[in-house]
Amino acid sequence: MKKSLIILTVIITVIAVASCNRVRRTPGRTYMPDMTYSRAYESYASTDALKKEGVFYNARPVTGTMARGDEMPFPISEDKPGDTVNYFASRQVKNPLNVASIDMTEAERLYLVNCGICHGTKLDGNGPLYKGGDGPYPAKPATLVGDAKYESMPEGQMFYSATYGKNMMGSYASQLTTKERWMVIAYIKSKQVKVAVTDTTAKK
Amino acid sequence: MIPCKPTSRKLTLFAFFIFIFSGIQLSAQDGKALFQQHCAVCHNIFKPMTGPELMNLEERGPWSDHNKLLEWVHNPAAFMAKDPYTTGLHTQYGIIMTPFPDLTLKDVDAIVSYINGEVAAKNSPKGPTTGVAGEEKPSTSSNAVIFGVISLILAIIALILMQVNSNLKKLSDDKEGILRPEPVPFYRNKIYIAFVSIILFIVGGYYLTKGAIGLGRSEGYQPIQPIYYSHKVHAGINQINCLYCHGGAWESKQASIPSVNVCMNCHKAINTYEKGPKLYDEDGKEIDGTAEIQKLYKYAGFDPKNSSSWDPSKAQPISWIKIHNLPDYVFFSHEQHVRVGKVQCQTCHGEITAMNEVKQFAELSMGWCVNCHRQTKIDFNYDSTKGNKFYSIYEKFHDDIKAGKMDSITVKDIGGLECQKCHY
Ligand code: HEC
Ligand code: HEC
Ligand code: HEC
Ligand code: HEC
Ligand code: HEC
Ligand code: HEC
Repeated sequence: MKKSLIILTVIITVIAVASCNRVRRTPGRTYMPDMTYSRAYESYASTDALKKEGVFYNARPVTGTMARGDEMPFPISEDKPGDTVNYFASRQVKNPLNVASIDMTEAERLYLVNCGICHGTKLDGNGPLYKGGDGPYPAKPATLVGDAKYESMPEGQMFYSATYGKNMMGSYASQLTTKERWMVIAYIKSKQVKVAVTDTTAKK
Repeated sequence: MIPCKPTSRKLTLFAFFIFIFSGIQLSAQDGKALFQQHCAVCHNIFKPMTGPELMNLEERGPWSDHNKLLEWVHNPAAFMAKDPYTTGLHTQYGIIMTPFPDLTLKDVDAIVSYINGEVAAKNSPKGPTTGVAGEEKPSTSSNAVIFGVISLILAIIALILMQVNSNLKKLSDDKEGILRPEPVPFYRNKIYIAFVSIILFIVGGYYLTKGAIGLGRSEGYQPIQPIYYSHKVHAGINQINCLYCHGGAWESKQASIPSVNVCMNCHKAINTYEKGPKLYDEDGKEIDGTAEIQKLYKYAGFDPKNSSSWDPSKAQPISWIKIHNLPDYVFFSHEQHVRVGKVQCQTCHGEITAMNEVKQFAELSMGWCVNCHRQTKIDFNYDSTKGNKFYSIYEKFHDDIKAGKMDSITVKDIGGLECQKCHY
């Protein structure tokens, strides 16, 4: 009797320990948390408490200011929905950077991180998300190299689309600074020129 | 999925091919190329995007007449002026379709027959191999259970054997006529008791120390996030670069968590989850990816039926639960490690590309940081084109390397163990 009781408890504890859920859903406890939690506001922390105290804070740069080292902001504002006036006006804007002095490896890196997933590493509009129509992304990204429409698109208009978005493509203004966006556009333009040149030599 | 016999599948396939190759001699290939070159930017066959979905096109509006369709494609604005059906579409979609004056009637026929072929292919029952591959359920601690059961069985067998042994001994003693005292049962046997308490002491002590060391650390922490957002689907299967979302890791202390508009860059168009494998949470419950994307739309204030009227400035932030948390008295910068040190994210965060829900991989203890600083070699080679010029100031080390006194420099050598590098 006693023996079976002992065996039973052993079995129960072993099963309890073994079947214990391994997923950790709590961060655990801290012992004497001096200087563990910041008294200042940490990144990502909610700033609602400030609002209650009447402090205005929205984490955006003050209008009319710009970051050090960045380019002048794009002079053209976004179209109202359904309008295309500014989209066409942006054709006149030229790249403010000196294209010869752009670090193209950095521009390529920016392109591959931000645009390549849709527009493809070869800029053929066939990135891993589209995969010739089999991927999960249902809209065809623009064929930046190899389609006359985009080959002849002025850089200012491309910049407009990268800044404010175009139809299904979103705005990249939050991920890339003005300067970085111009660098990416310059990279796309440099690729387009290269392909156009190799095409004409192939025909000769 | 509907179970279907191989013969019936063959029949439907056959019917499908007949359907494609019958009637007008058109290659679907042409239609596909034309569709992808001109129309796919705005039109999906099955889903409304910038423009309406094009499936069952011929059953709507005036489009059963391909001449009308050609007229529309040549000049939508002019067509719309005299056709109330397309004017209605315009109010719904907000923009006027681009004109394609170069397309011919044959091109339009090819595009329509490509669309019809795709629709038929989607409606015909799929073979078992084309379904979602690679389903997997997390094997929650089943190994541990198996080990527990096996060791339990072994322990019981050992006990029984010992009992049998003592019984046999008693039998043989009885036979030989030696009189011995009645054997004490094992739970009153002093040796057993001492043995068990030593084991309990060691095991208990181990867990107690481990628990005490682990106070304030959260290795393995895996909270339930407001949206079941899977890194495996995004960064693994779909190969999205970590820096697309965590761009800050390249240029700041924080890696940054993407805001809703970054999610919407893709999810404006991707409104269902259908290409990836089935998803399960850690308890083995199945997750409906499409419903999770709907949650994202709630935060974004986005209505997939009326995508052109979305106003990103009305979006609400998602309150993700922060997993990695160094105490405030430690300084850590991503830029130094990711950009300067060229350390892979996976070194510190584990195989994120295989995790559905992120969990803290490293213990983030001081020993863990310092160990890595002791072992990690830094790239000391620089010249005018590559390498880190900052290291040129360590002249002594360069001389030592040249003289063969040192063969490599670790983070420790350039001050990676100084307390004030991490604490100030
Ligand atoms: C999520 C997928 C996706 C990503 C990432 C993406 N694009 Fe696009 N892009 C598209 C789609 C879809 C279109 C077609 C939009 C249309 O014309 O309807 C497009 C069109 C364009 C166009 C032509 C716009 C026009 O005016 O017709 C340019 C230029 C462009 N993208 C540049 C970029 C750049 C630069 C980046 C990286 C910063 C980028 N794209 C990233 C999906 C994407
Ligand atoms: C710039 C984006 C765009 C492109 C490119 C485009 N369309 Fe459209 N399409 C639209 C929009 C938007 C509508 C809805 C009517 C409107 O607002 O003009 C539409 C409507 C239609 C309709 C009517 C759909 C219905 O539900 O009755 C047809 C048919 C059509 N397009 C065919 C085509 C074909 C074929 C091509 C390629 C040669 C094409 N479209 C290329 C944007 C586009
Ligand atoms: C599509 C956007 C996206 C991509 C791509 C992405 N992440 Fe994330 N990541 C998120 C979001 C959103 C969260 C917050 C929710 C969560 O923890 O799951 C997050 C959380 C994390 C966390 C935990 C942060 C914390 O709270 O401590 C780590 C670590 C992380 N990501 C690493 C990576 C790595 C490494 C990659 C590349 C392999 C990557 N991520 C790719 C969006 C992304
Ligand atoms: C670069 C494009 C891209 C970005 C950015 C992106 N996603 Fe996705 N998302 C996808 C793709 C591709 C799928 C898979 C769709 C499929 O397989 O059908 C997906 C699927 C999903 C799903 C369903 C599967 C799952 O993981 O539960 C959810 C939820 C989701 N995304 C949420 C988000 C959130 C939240 C963000 C922002 C942090 C985000 N996505 C950013 C491309 C993206
Ligand atoms: C040297 C180790 C290391 C590397 C390499 C590293 N991380 Fe981290 N990561 C950390 C630590 C430590 C934290 C906790 C930081 C804190 O709490 O202040 C963290 C936090 C994060 C967070 C949470 C949000 C934040 O900024 O605190 C994200 C997201 C993240 N890392 C993503 C990444 C990505 C993406 C990469 C690769 C580009 C990467 N990490 C590379 C160690 C690393
Ligand atoms: C490479 C970075 C690094 C260096 C160098 C470093 N530490 Fe730490 N230290 C940490 C981290 C990370 C923690 C947090 C560990 C934790 O949360 O368990 C920590 C924690 C501590 C704690 C524990 C505080 C507590 O309440 O548990 C003490 C004390 C400490 N460090 C002292 C030092 C001293 C003294 C030196 C110089 C000899 C030093 N550290 C150098 C990274 C560092």
